[in-house]
Formats: sequence, C-alpha cells, structure tokens
Amino acid sequence: MHLRKFGISILGAILLSVSSLTVADETCMSPYMAKIVGQEDYVYVWTLGVEGLGDEQDKLVTIDVNPKSKTYAKVVSVLSVGGRNEAHHSGLSDDRHYLWAGGLDSNKIFIFNVHSDPRKPTLHKVITDFVEKTGGIVGPHTFYALPGRIMVSGLSNNKDNGGRTGLAEYNSKGEFIATHWLPTDGDLRGAKKEGKYADGYGYDVRVQPRRNVMLTSSFTGWSNYMMDFGQMLQDGEAMKRFGNTMVVWDLHTRKPKKVIDVPGAPLEIRCAWGANNNYCFTTTALTSKIWLIYEDDNGEWQGKAVADIGDASKVPLPVDISITADDKGLWVDTFMDGKARYFDITDPFNPVQTFEEQIGSQVNMISQSWDGKRAYFSTSLLGNWDKTGSADEQWVKLYAWDEAKLELTHKWTIDFYKQKLGRAHQMRFGAYSLYSSKNQNKEKEVTLLNK
Amino acid sequence: MSELLCKLKILVFLLPLFFLSSVSLGEDNTVYSGPGDNKDGYDTNKYITNSLSLEERKGKKSNLIQYVTLKQLGLPAVEIPDNNPISREKIELGKKLFFDRRLSLNNTVSCGMCHVPEQGFTNNEIKTAVGIEGRSNLRNTPTILNIAFSKFLFHDAREFSLENQVWQPVLAHSEMAMPSFGFTIKKLQLIPGYKKLFNKAFPNEGINMETFGKAIASYERSLVSGNSKFDKWYYGGDKNIVNEKVKKGFDVFMGKGNCSSCHAVGEKSALFFDNKLHNTGIGYAESMGLLKNKKTRVQLAPGEYVEVDNNIIKSVNQQKRKNDLGLYTITENPSHRWLFKTAGLRNISLTAPYMHNGIFATLDEVIDFYNEGGFQNELLSPMIRKLNLSSLEKENLKLFLESLVGENINILIADAISAPVGDLTKDDPNWANDTDMGYNK
Repeated sequence: MHLRKFGISILGAILLSVSSLTVADETCMSPYMAKIVGQEDYVYVWTLGVEGLGDEQDKLVTIDVNPKSKTYAKVVSVLSVGGRNEAHHSGLSDDRHYLWAGGLDSNKIFIFNVHSDPRKPTLHKVITDFVEKTGGIVGPHTFYALPGRIMVSGLSNNKDNGGRTGLAEYNSKGEFIATHWLPTDGDLRGAKKEGKYADGYGYDVRVQPRRNVMLTSSFTGWSNYMMDFGQMLQDGEAMKRFGNTMVVWDLHTRKPKKVIDVPGAPLEIRCAWGANNNYCFTTTALTSKIWLIYEDDNGEWQGKAVADIGDASKVPLPVDISITADDKGLWVDTFMDGKARYFDITDPFNPVQTFEEQIGSQVNMISQSWDGKRAYFSTSLLGNWDKTGSADEQWVKLYAWDEAKLELTHKWTIDFYKQKLGRAHQMRFGAYSLYSSKNQNKEKEVTLLNK
Repeated sequence: MSELLCKLKILVFLLPLFFLSSVSLGEDNTVYSGPGDNKDGYDTNKYITNSLSLEERKGKKSNLIQYVTLKQLGLPAVEIPDNNPISREKIELGKKLFFDRRLSLNNTVSCGMCHVPEQGFTNNEIKTAVGIEGRSNLRNTPTILNIAFSKFLFHDAREFSLENQVWQPVLAHSEMAMPSFGFTIKKLQLIPGYKKLFNKAFPNEGINMETFGKAIASYERSLVSGNSKFDKWYYGGDKNIVNEKVKKGFDVFMGKGNCSSCHAVGEKSALFFDNKLHNTGIGYAESMGLLKNKKTRVQLAPGEYVEVDNNIIKSVNQQKRKNDLGLYTITENPSHRWLFKTAGLRNISLTAPYMHNGIFATLDEVIDFYNEGGFQNELLSPMIRKLNLSSLEKENLKLFLESLVGENINILIADAISAPVGDLTKDDPNWANDTDMGYNK
C-alpha cells in the first residue's frame, strides 16, 4: 500500500522487496527526503555533554552498526562542538548530505557534513544568530526537510522564556528565510480557534504534502525545559506553562488555518503514509494519551484522544513515538518507566497496546531500521530531566524486533557514561548507499519518496 | 427596554476598563502589565487562553530620568550616589545591558530574563529562578521596581549598593556564569556598539568594572513607581480615589494585622519595607522539611491534576538544593538563621509568587499564612503572631494591597519592552563566528 507513495526508485526491482516490509523508522522523517531502505551503516547520536564527564561538551557520536564491519557496534567517531547547548533533536537535509542538530539552550545550530565521509562527519557550519534572525525564537527543536528548505520549530522566546514561539524557515544552505509565528489570541494570523486554547506554543512539525497540510504541536518554554524536572513538578506555576494545542497549517502558504485543543503537551507527530490515510498521531506527555489528528468527511482536520498510555498518575511520560510504514503499528516510549510499548493502530480510532518491554531505567528515543527488524533506543530526555543516581543510565541499545512473535531481542549496548561521552539523545541513520559515488552496497538502494 | 439594554451594554463595556484601571495606562493606552501568556483560571477546565502576540510586543520608550528627579506621591526622594550622578545616557546604556543576553557565558541569560518587565520585573511563571544551563537557584526573583530605596540587596542582604550588586548575577555560576570581570569587559569591548555607548555615558572612562556597574545601577535606580491610588488618597487627600474597603484594609494593615511593623508606613512617605531582616518561619520550615507531603499534587492540563508519589519526583530531582538559611549564609551568626529582608509591597499584585522562595502563589495565601502566625521556631520574629482576621478583614486587606500599583507602572514596562533584546549576532565574539577574542593572536 505504501508503495504508492514512492515516486522514484533507483532500482525498480528493489521496490518489490520493499513491498514486503511492515515497519520502518524513517517514516518519522520527511517524505521529501532520501531514504535508507537496506542496512544502515552508521547511527549518529546527538549527545549531551555532562559536567565532570570527559570533555564535558556536546558531541556527535558515530556508531558503526553494519554487522559486516570490523568495527560493528563500536563508536568510530566523536565530534565535540563546544559547550553544553542542550543537544536535543537533529534532522537531515532533503538530499541527506547534511545533518542539522540544535541546542535548545544555546540556540546554536550545528550543520554536519555526513556525506563526504559518512563514517566521520565534519562540522560544516554553525548558525549562531538563530534568535536574532528569527526575531526572538528560542530553542530550535525539530529540523524538518522540505524541498530545498529546513523548517525549524522553536520552543520558546527571548522575551519571557515562556512557551510562545514560532517556526523558522531556512534554506538548505543555512540561510534564514522567514519566521512563522504560532497563532495566539492576540494574533491568530487568520487561523480559526476551534476550542478554548490558542497558546502559541511549539514543539514538533510534520507534513502530509498530498493534503497540503503541515501540523505543529506544543510543549513548554525555556524556563521549564531547562529546569530541574523534580523541581518543576513541585512548582504549581511552572506546571501551568505547557502547551495544549496543535495547529493545522497550509503547507504551501505557511499560514495557520486552525488551532485544535490537545491538552497535556502534545509532542512528537507521526503522519500516516497510506494514500487514503489522512491522519497523524501524537502523544501527550503529561496526560499520557494517544491523540489522532485526522481529516473528517467534510475535509476538516479534527483532534480526538483515542487511547491511554499507562497510568497517568504515575507520570509515565510518553516521549518518542514511531509509526510503521503500513500504518498498522505505533511504538511509544515512556520515559519514567523505561518501557517501549507497541500499539496496534489498524483502527486508528481504537489503538490497542499489544506489547511492552522495559528497555532500561529510562528511555527516550526509538529509531527503527527501514526493514523494521532493528530498533535502536537511547536514554536522555533533557539535561535536567534525566533520572538521578544509578537510574541515570546513558546508552544506545540495539534490539532485534520480530513483529510476528511480538518479541524484542537485545543485541548490544554502548554505555555512553563508561565511554565518557555524555547523554545519548537523538539517533539518525547514515549509509554509503545514499551517495552514489561511495555506494558500497548496491543491492541496498536509495529510494526517493515523493519526487 | 432598548435604553436599558443600551445602558447595560455601556456598563459591560466599562466594567473591564474599570478593572484595568487598577493598572495605570501608558500614554498609548496599551496595557503592558501582566504575563503575555495569561494563565488565570488554569486550575479549572473552563480555562480559556488569552495569549498575546510576541510580534506585537513593541512597547514605547520614555524619559525615565524624570522618575528619579521628580517627586512622586508616597515616595521619598531618590538618593543618588555622589560617584554616580544620574544621566540619560547612563540609563539608556544600563537598560541595553540589562536586556542583553550576551552578558552570560553562553549568550542566553540577561538580567531581564528573570526580571521580566510585564511580570512586575520579576517572574510570575516560576517559584524560584532558573539560571544558565537550567541551574536551580534557591530564591524567588525579587522585583527591581523601587529598588533605589533599598539599603540592602538580595534576599539575604549581602550587598549594599546597586553598583556593586549588578556584578554578582553576572558572575554567579548558577545565574549568568561569566567567568571573570575581565572577560566580561573584554567581551563588551568586542560587541559592536558598546564602546561608543560607554564613551558617551562615561567620557574618558569607557568600559570598565565601575562603569558597567554604574550604568546598570542607573537604569535600575530609574524604575521608581509611586503615585499609587493609595498614595493619592493617603498622602494626596483624594478621598474618592479608593473605596471604603481599601481604607478599611489599610486600617487592618496598620492595626490588627500589624503588617506595618515591618512593612513601614511613614508620615510623608511609605516604602512598605523597613530595610531590616526578619524570620517568618518559612525558611525554617523548608529547611526542616516541614513543607513536604508524601505526595505532590501535579497539574497535567487545565483543571486536571494527579497526586504523584514523591519518590517519583525524587527520581528526577537532579539538582539537590541547599537549605536556605538567609542572613546566616553571610554572617555565620547562628542568631541570623532564616532571616530574610522585608519585601516592599508596592506593585505587590504584579509580582507573584511571593516570599523569598516563591512558596505562595497568591496574596490570599500570604495573608492566610500571616493570619496563622507564621511557622513557629525559636527565632521567629516576635512581631509575627496569630491575627484572628475575619474573612472580610482579609479581603479588605488584599484590596488595600492591590491599591499599591504605581501610576507609571505601564510606562516603565512599555519603556523596558521597547529596549532591544541583545542576542548573539554574526558580528559578535564567539568561536563559531571565527572570533577567538584574541587568545591566539
């Protein structure tokens, strides 16, 4: 079904092999982006520096993950970038030549060259004037590839460190194009406030190009995401400063069309791939629910809470999520109990949890390989939100996933504390197959989606 | 019928204006006071957002020096240090520095990120201040409105002049974390524009430790706000400017409530603080763990709460906080344990949350605390005792406190908002901008 989405493939025969795949991580990324559909060679881990550990600064850590390599499951490159920037998320350019990685605190954006030598990325450019250029957006979070562009969602602002913020649009060279403010009551920017909230908060950004839709979600401002997590939970005023909205945008004009109430901090957005599946999922961090954001029969986008995730009173804190390529499964990591949960979303209005396993004392991100057989997990949520003492494990783990048996099998762990690296956050994949000049696995082709 | 309806409509239209009038308007009639991200009513599921556009936050520049030199009802004259005469140039330079985030190690924290103008020059959104890299601070951000009249600075009174005080947050590890005086000055010299502004404000002196302190102190000293409704009634004789409830509340304040024993009111002026330190028991209770329950009520969304086991909270409480012993921290005198500076009450309705650690979210909670006689401890101030105030007396007391908003508050906020926020540009010193600050040249 999802094959209908494929525009260009390098080898038509490969399309047939892809058709048998059932899950894929790269569905989390932009449909405008080149994909790795075979074995990934490297995992790039955007890693937080920790005071008292190693060189104490943020770094891009490259792990060799090709089982055929002599350095399989080893760290093969460490690129320190200076400062503890609150390393968080990263995103690849549409041609997948560059990895943009942001600092939620310093507002620096590090653009790494990952194509010249995928085994050893280099620092290509640092954007230092993000706040100044955007007119005050703080906390560059998601880096999402649009054709020739990178859309950067912000979390905060330089006026009050609160949650009101905007999107910043850059071209692929790293040049600022425009700021698109999230709609507030003071300026809805033409959007319809459907419910009670128009908080102007931001977090993630995703698109469904065939519906000309862009979606944003909402988290919290600098004061909260930088604050000690335990302290914040006890601060009644701070707990009022979380986003309760998602915004439906016109993708082409970048104009907000509608603000939807989604209470409790909706974070990651994952959109379905099926040609007729006009919906996306998100999870709310605080209220612990899966929400479906969908286009109804009248062409209107709506939001609906469709499932609970664990026990909200225990603050499971759903964090990263990942939808499968056939739109039938959704992985949900819950930070506080360190579990990975798998939901059957065949009926998107009635997700059913079919599997869960504890990955560690804390878990944040999940990245699956394109063939769905490998799931990488990492630990760190935010520098001041991670657990304390022995529960503050910091690693990247690989598991093999057997969907038929609903079984995760641990393969290896790289301990980021033991290697004096820091806190492991977001993982992105690299592969020689992406770059024709260094294509070492010609049977593992590159497929371009929607081009 | 139609006439009545019309009158009702006018009344409905005027009512909001009446309430808004408790905050004085600026010259352009735009109300700047109050968080741009309004959370009033967030404790119920009836909450409706009233968020302001960041793009529209422009403010309006004013001539601040007038508030230093002109007499304001209810306030004494501002004392200007002999070695730092006030000037427009210094105020403008100090304001620019105050909102410049480049004055921190990683270019993210300015004075104004904690002393947020529209939040009463404090921070309404968190109990205690969050510094660079999210480091926890023990204390609630104090307002800098009327700071010109304070003999002591910081909650524990560790500084005595604004000129000296301004350096501590800049250098503090948990606040702005600049590594040294010299590095701060060097950085300022390399940021385009500052040399010229310093030379203009301080001819023949330029950028140095003293002029840096003097500039910011001059701006802070200009944030003088009197002429409140209370002042116009009590010191100005305007009997109709406040209602009877406010007057009765003032009676409670001066009498049964015994508030004025610390929050001083004079014959010609009222600072509403005594430039002294007192033990209310809050510091003691926090140090002794008396304020904690087994569970914490945590808000998840508007009107939605859960009771969370404190062990869960402890599992993500990385930054262990020291106990806050107040003045003792400075003197090591055991009789100074848990002594904190008396807070001024002017503009108090704009500066929530309250007390040195932001423990109380509302004035009602503060009044209830004092009505119950504080937290008992061997060093409790003898002026704190059970008050037995009635509900009506407490309500009137609150209305009186709300009458202490300065007339020019909106102008001060608008002026602050009009100042540029200093953020890192491509022309500024930073290794990633290929400027190494001269270390390798």
